[in-house]
Amino acid sequence: MKKNRFGGRALIALCFLFLYLPILLLIFFSFNAGGSSAVWRGFSLRWYGELFHNRLVIESVATTLLVSLLATAIATVAGTFAAVGIYSLSKKWRDPILVVNDLPMMNADIVTGVALCLFFVAFFRGWGGIARWLNSWQSLIDFPERLTLGLGTLLIAHVSFNLPYVILNVAPRLRQMDSNLVDAAQDLGCTWIQAFFKVILPEIKPGIVSGALIAFTMSVDDFVISYFTAGSSTQTLAMTIYGMTKKRVTPVVNAVSTLMFLAVMIVLIINNVRSAKQAKIAAKRASMEPVRENPRVVKFREWMATPRGKLTRRVTAAALCAAFLVTVVFLTAFTTSRPVVNVCSWGEYIDESLIDEFEAETGIRVNYQTTDSNETLYSLLELGGADYDVIVPSDYMISQLIEEGRLEELDYSQIPNFELIDPRFRNLPYDPENKYTVPYTWGTVGIIYNAAMVDEEITSWSALYDDKYAGQVLLINNSRDAFGIALKYLGYSMNTTDPNEIREAYELVADANRRGVFQGKVMDEVFQTMEGGNAAFATYYAGDYLSMLENNEDLRFVIPEEGSNWFVDAMCVLKDAPNYDNAMKWINFIASTDANLRNMDTIWYASPNTKALELYPSWYEEQYGEELDPDIYAIMAAPQEVLDRCEMYICLPRNIRKLYNDLWIDLGI
Amino acid sequence: MRTKRGLFAVPYVIWLALFVVIPIVIMLVYSLTVEVETATGTELAGSVENFTGMSLYMGVFGRSFWLALVATLICLLIGYPVAYLMSREGPGFQRVAMALIMLPMWMNFLLRTYSWMAILENNGLLNQLFQKIGVIALYNRLTGSDVEYFQMIRTPGAVVLGMVYNYLPFMILPIYTVLTKLDHRLIEAAQDLGANSSTVFRRVILPLSVSGIVSGVTMVFVPSVSTFAISRLLGGGTQMMLGDLIENQFLGGAYNPHLGAAIAMVMMVIVVICMLVMNHFGDGEGEAVML
Repeated sequence: MKKNRFGGRALIALCFLFLYLPILLLIFFSFNAGGSSAVWRGFSLRWYGELFHNRLVIESVATTLLVSLLATAIATVAGTFAAVGIYSLSKKWRDPILVVNDLPMMNADIVTGVALCLFFVAFFRGWGGIARWLNSWQSLIDFPERLTLGLGTLLIAHVSFNLPYVILNVAPRLRQMDSNLVDAAQDLGCTWIQAFFKVILPEIKPGIVSGALIAFTMSVDDFVISYFTAGSSTQTLAMTIYGMTKKRVTPVVNAVSTLMFLAVMIVLIINNVRSAKQAKIAAKRASMEPVRENPRVVKFREWMATPRGKLTRRVTAAALCAAFLVTVVFLTAFTTSRPVVNVCSWGEYIDESLIDEFEAETGIRVNYQTTDSNETLYSLLELGGADYDVIVPSDYMISQLIEEGRLEELDYSQIPNFELIDPRFRNLPYDPENKYTVPYTWGTVGIIYNAAMVDEEITSWSALYDDKYAGQVLLINNSRDAFGIALKYLGYSMNTTDPNEIREAYELVADANRRGVFQGKVMDEVFQTMEGGNAAFATYYAGDYLSMLENNEDLRFVIPEEGSNWFVDAMCVLKDAPNYDNAMKWINFIASTDANLRNMDTIWYASPNTKALELYPSWYEEQYGEELDPDIYAIMAAPQEVLDRCEMYICLPRNIRKLYNDLWIDLGI
Repeated sequence: MRTKRGLFAVPYVIWLALFVVIPIVIMLVYSLTVEVETATGTELAGSVENFTGMSLYMGVFGRSFWLALVATLICLLIGYPVAYLMSREGPGFQRVAMALIMLPMWMNFLLRTYSWMAILENNGLLNQLFQKIGVIALYNRLTGSDVEYFQMIRTPGAVVLGMVYNYLPFMILPIYTVLTKLDHRLIEAAQDLGANSSTVFRRVILPLSVSGIVSGVTMVFVPSVSTFAISRLLGGGTQMMLGDLIENQFLGGAYNPHLGAAIAMVMMVIVVICMLVMNHFGDGEGEAVML
């Protein structure tokens, strides 16, 4: 028997090792001196220090806790009442309600998320009319005409998926309860409300507590439903992490997760020790041995039972609730009363100290959000999931947005710094009269390869389709770029609208795919993969190459002789932006030479500001006391003769976009 | 008096109608319409095009259900013995083990999955370990091949691993709960009647834990079949699943909520049918055996 048990324990231990291995790794790397989650650079507490300056992470942790706590509180109270209500109904009514109650649990999260998202969007579309009508006959409350996904919808969604858990935990307790108890209480003169509080509630308390705990855990851990219902002006920690997994998860997230993990672990340990003690006491009591309890505890317990003690307990509980509510109200009021500007950009695409500086200078709060691609941004706008003022899309997306009438013309009299923009980057095809945009960055796409794994100099896109490098090539996970490059290699225009040419490009990629040339399709995951030397080739942006180079010196960048894509990302303002004037101030601030220099230094993308572009090498020398490698500068800001080889994307017509998508899905299978 | 307390259920019924039933109806409406281009812009028109055109995605459907099935089976094969062994330990051990199983949920699942990437990469921890202890050299000698690493990430296996890793606790917990509530007198009775331990397990313990298995299988299979983050991180874009497809229609490159709603609808129907069949095998009690 003993031997048997040992084998069993070994199996359980193995299972736990499997569960905890990645977690230990995460905790380990939170103490990494370097910025990578894969390469160890020595011990440091750097990321725990940086945690307090990383606004994105702190705000998303706060949002997560706020939403989870509120949703749990609401769901626990409402769910308890609902469970009591449902169980006093006749079977005829109870069963169908329980079936509907189970639906969100049976359904995949993604279905619940999508359904709620569509529901909110449909509701918001209809809301404008209702609000106008409500405002027309009463002036007491001013109903906003435009609603967007955000904290409110997130909270509703969380309450919605928490409720079934509470009900399902309370229900068994109700079923076990002797219903005669309630009748007895009422016979003895209780009102039914009293019976509820004095008889039912104490009986089902354990169910309520475990329901609340599960609801809270689910809320904190949820990603999918939040992702579809929070829009992108509100981010939970899970959403922030999802955004980062695409690029690079900063160890700050490891640090904050480690802290949360340890906090919960301590709570669990205390809880375990306490219940172990209680079990011991119970065992002693059962064996009739006198239990020696701490006299202070006994006294305290006695005092708690007195009317005065009860009153104190209630007052304390009420005070805690009130404090919680006041904090919530205060926080919401604090964040909404200041003038704001809502900015949406890409991940790791700004020197964050600029945000603080702008806030200090103008008193305008910057609500800085990120999305991961032009397409995601477009989807969010289309779904009404976003309430941005300033967005930073790329060229082809800008022309699509202009075409659809989604952008507001800029008031250039409020943006004197526009004069500093190089004429090369004004009046570009996406905005020929330059009425809507102020360029933010520009750059090129090229091949990134690992010189330690490739023994020739790469000059052509052909390497990406070459059997020689089977299993070593990362295909860019974006139909436009992947087919665009193939088109360029075949000698066609990247903007062709000829379906035959596009199909030919597709065949080239699909054929290479069949031969097993591609290791995978990546977007921002390229950072980790290339830095770790896990693939030899990737296609990506010059600026990102330079930040990879900091972590792996073997990497090289080349713009192939066939030519490539060059792009401009520009700041625009959405139609009916709620904070138009603040948006102008932000754009002007970011267009300044100083801001451009600092951005260039942080993100390694070239600036469109003439002076900043010119000054950067000397500015770099001043900052770091060493000369900027001219080759690096040439990669960052490609010289004009390279740009002449490159093409800028223009917006494709709808049917061609559909063709791209269909071919892309074909490739994925 | 009962009826008075029944009033407590009214707000919840309204809530259910508003936030559970109506959203699904709206999703159905979305899935049955398409955007049609007209002279003045786009217009909505009723159509079943979304469903008929879905044959394009048969491969994705097949892969999703297949990988989810494999992951669920592996979870069951690991989860049942672990739950069984745990339920036979002392109360102290059980408490600690339970806490240890719940605890990982407090570290975001995306982060944990991301951590697996570092382990499984071609140059990752596992391959480095294999190199150090000579597994790769041994493999090369045995098969006469010349590999420097095992390709683990960006394979279907990696996606299954991610699913098993993330959802294993959801298999262990319900089975464990059922097993701890098992009436030990039944086992004793069986033994008294001459059953040996394997017969006891087969004829008494296993049938009595079916409800836990059903609930565990549901809780692993449903999130597995619809995942999109795991397949993206560990499958490296090569293992497109239903979740990816749906996400892509809503917040990704191929913006088309109508098609997305249709795919979600089909997935929902298939999953519900699977679950109904499963519940038929269980004792039909709908109580969640979670904790």
